[in-house]
Amino acid sequence: MADESFAFHRRDPIKSSVGNVAANRRRQNAVTVGKERRESLVRAKRLCRVGISGDGDADVSLDSEMMIDEEQSILEAQTSSAVEVLKSAVAYQGKGAMQKRVSALRDLRRLLSKSEFPPVEAALKAGAIPILVQCLSFGSQDEQLLEAAWCLTNIAAGKPEETEALLPALPLLIAHLGEKSSLSVAEQCAWALGNVAGEGEKLRSVLLSQGALLPLARMMLPNKGSTVRTSAWALSNLIKGPDPKAATELVRIDGVLDAIVRHLKKADDELATEVAWVVVYLSALSNIATSMLVKNDVLQLLVDRLATSNSLQLLIPVLRSLGNLVAGDSQTIYAVLVPGHEITDSVIKVLVKCLRSEHRVLKKEAAWVLSNIAAGSVEHKRLINSSEAVPLLLRLLSTAPFDIRKEVAYVLGNLCVAPTEGDGKPNLILEHLVSLVSGGCLPGFIDLVRSADTEAARVGLQFMELVLRGMPNGEGPKLVEQEDGIDAMERFQFHENEDLRNMANGLVDKYFGEDYGLDE
Amino acid sequence: MAMEEHDEEEKQQLGFPYWKSIPRSFGPESPFFASGNIERELLAKQVALDLTEDEKHQLQNMVVEEGGGIFCPIVGCGSRLTSLENFEDHYNARHTASCSVCSRVYPTSRLLSIHVSELHDSFFQAKVARGYAVYECLVEGCGLKFKSYKSRQRHLVDKHKFPTSFEFYKKAHLSKKQRQKLQRKQATHRREEDSCMEVDNESIDGLISGISKLSTSDSPSSVSFGRRHTRGLTFVPRAVQREKMPDPTSAGTKR
Repeated sequence: MADESFAFHRRDPIKSSVGNVAANRRRQNAVTVGKERRESLVRAKRLCRVGISGDGDADVSLDSEMMIDEEQSILEAQTSSAVEVLKSAVAYQGKGAMQKRVSALRDLRRLLSKSEFPPVEAALKAGAIPILVQCLSFGSQDEQLLEAAWCLTNIAAGKPEETEALLPALPLLIAHLGEKSSLSVAEQCAWALGNVAGEGEKLRSVLLSQGALLPLARMMLPNKGSTVRTSAWALSNLIKGPDPKAATELVRIDGVLDAIVRHLKKADDELATEVAWVVVYLSALSNIATSMLVKNDVLQLLVDRLATSNSLQLLIPVLRSLGNLVAGDSQTIYAVLVPGHEITDSVIKVLVKCLRSEHRVLKKEAAWVLSNIAAGSVEHKRLINSSEAVPLLLRLLSTAPFDIRKEVAYVLGNLCVAPTEGDGKPNLILEHLVSLVSGGCLPGFIDLVRSADTEAARVGLQFMELVLRGMPNGEGPKLVEQEDGIDAMERFQFHENEDLRNMANGLVDKYFGEDYGLDE
Repeated sequence: MAMEEHDEEEKQQLGFPYWKSIPRSFGPESPFFASGNIERELLAKQVALDLTEDEKHQLQNMVVEEGGGIFCPIVGCGSRLTSLENFEDHYNARHTASCSVCSRVYPTSRLLSIHVSELHDSFFQAKVARGYAVYECLVEGCGLKFKSYKSRQRHLVDKHKFPTSFEFYKKAHLSKKQRQKLQRKQATHRREEDSCMEVDNESIDGLISGISKLSTSDSPSSVSFGRRHTRGLTFVPRAVQREKMPDPTSAGTKR
């Protein structure tokens, strides 16, 4: 995964400005480090680079743990004193004061930029936040704002309580997103705010109350630049809910919808990825957003991306956006996904491409999207049933990992059942049931019945009911028996889950009761 | 008894939960999306890293190659930019959003205009004195206005969850000489302005023509809070000072 992202960020150094190259390298490193830190936090095991100069390699043996602790405490001491130096630099009002401040900030920033384990706690204890807030005051030089925001960014990238420590700085960080700020300052502030928003619901809510949404949204409007990408990333963190209000507000801001469409259409993979995640949350949380997106032909743009891209980073949010839109307001979506229209064919085609992919997430989520289309009208079901999807799905049902098989089961089952009308037994689409069963799908469903997952077992039993009820000439019970279906159902006889127990016992009683086999 | 039997019957009739062909949707944080989210979560908090020695060298070389960069031509600025792109950036930030009175720079036009109104506009102070709600909420889109700096502050804290430590204005540290000069200037102006303020029955609109003569362009250049002299700090507007110390004198404008 890290390699993929390295490939993205490589750019011709002559063409891009100094700032871009630096920012890209930072981002590259940030991904790797982010992962390492996350893993180390989860493992609760400390890794530390040998030597402050940063030229050690990542492999640290356990033997040197003593040395690591020592170096960590040196780092912490240096950080505390860096904060003290900064405090006096801010208090100083004589000649060269600005330079002094920037220099002190830079030293602190360097200490906080050590990968593996920035001494955030030490910085906070020494009182870094109030002094950094002062350095963010209006009218300060760009360099000062930049360094201060950078320090705050890294403080916010740590543990929850460390991110929370940024609360006093938030209004100023938000203010410096303004259209008059220098781009690099605005971007660094957006980065810091993105970290804060990524922490959790409570901080998201504070940021929204303080008015962070509008300025961040504006930063996403230009056509290019790293600022656009960073702000899109920060926005996706900000609107991810669970409160849907921010998502609805965002899509209503002037120019946002247009920018989203533009970026989905033309942006490079990196920017498109971030924007796609914004669309994921918009489509998952807000019906208004879904409707507006569909009306602006976003469906086609997503399909195009799925068809042409090979980047997993991009495909995941694009596919999921498609899925959310399809799962959303059915009126809107089925007005577009009309069977027989080109768009509908393209959607199925692109979902098949994802089903063929080697990536588990793509296969699973593509099957989910397909299952929702299969939940549409009879024409939709016919369309899918006659497409190249079916042979592929049958194969996946036998061979794929469990979570994919479950989703595939939903597709196939939906193909066999007519749209739900009122209460009572839904009608079967016999033609599809027969062809799928002869295609060999039954064993796969019975396997699901045997699984430990309640939902999967339920799905399996429901399909078995269709087979038992619907197969012509009373073939159903025989087929089920052949595949050891009775055995699978009998395992539920004394199962702890009452619903499953009743379902299984009900089927056995009805179709394999006293009279079973007597006709022969 | 009869009721219970009836219920039992119903339950049996409900029977099997048949397969229903319906779409399924999931919330963004649903476990269904967990595996796809892992990639994303790891990026959820990005650390901005320092450049390695290598990268620093690369950067230095690049700057040299590009001819050493550009100096901002605006008088008194002196900033050095490494590329044309950065220069445009710098110009927009530094030279278009600054207050013409005190040179303070704000990150948005809106904040700049609020600053100018609240600190340099005698018309604003006149409205305050007459009890109009003119202190705007700083959060764009909120739209509420308040009669005093303090009540606006309270609103920011209560409604918008600003930290109590937040101050739109900060105290400046003037040298003694600067303070004396400032006081002398303010005294002269106040005498001029008091005569206008005595027109009680005029509407606010009428006041505009009178007060607009005392425009901000009269600001004495010696009382300059441009970036060169301060560290981006400005003085607390007189209106605010008055609230903190009970002062029964009539509204005068401040400079």
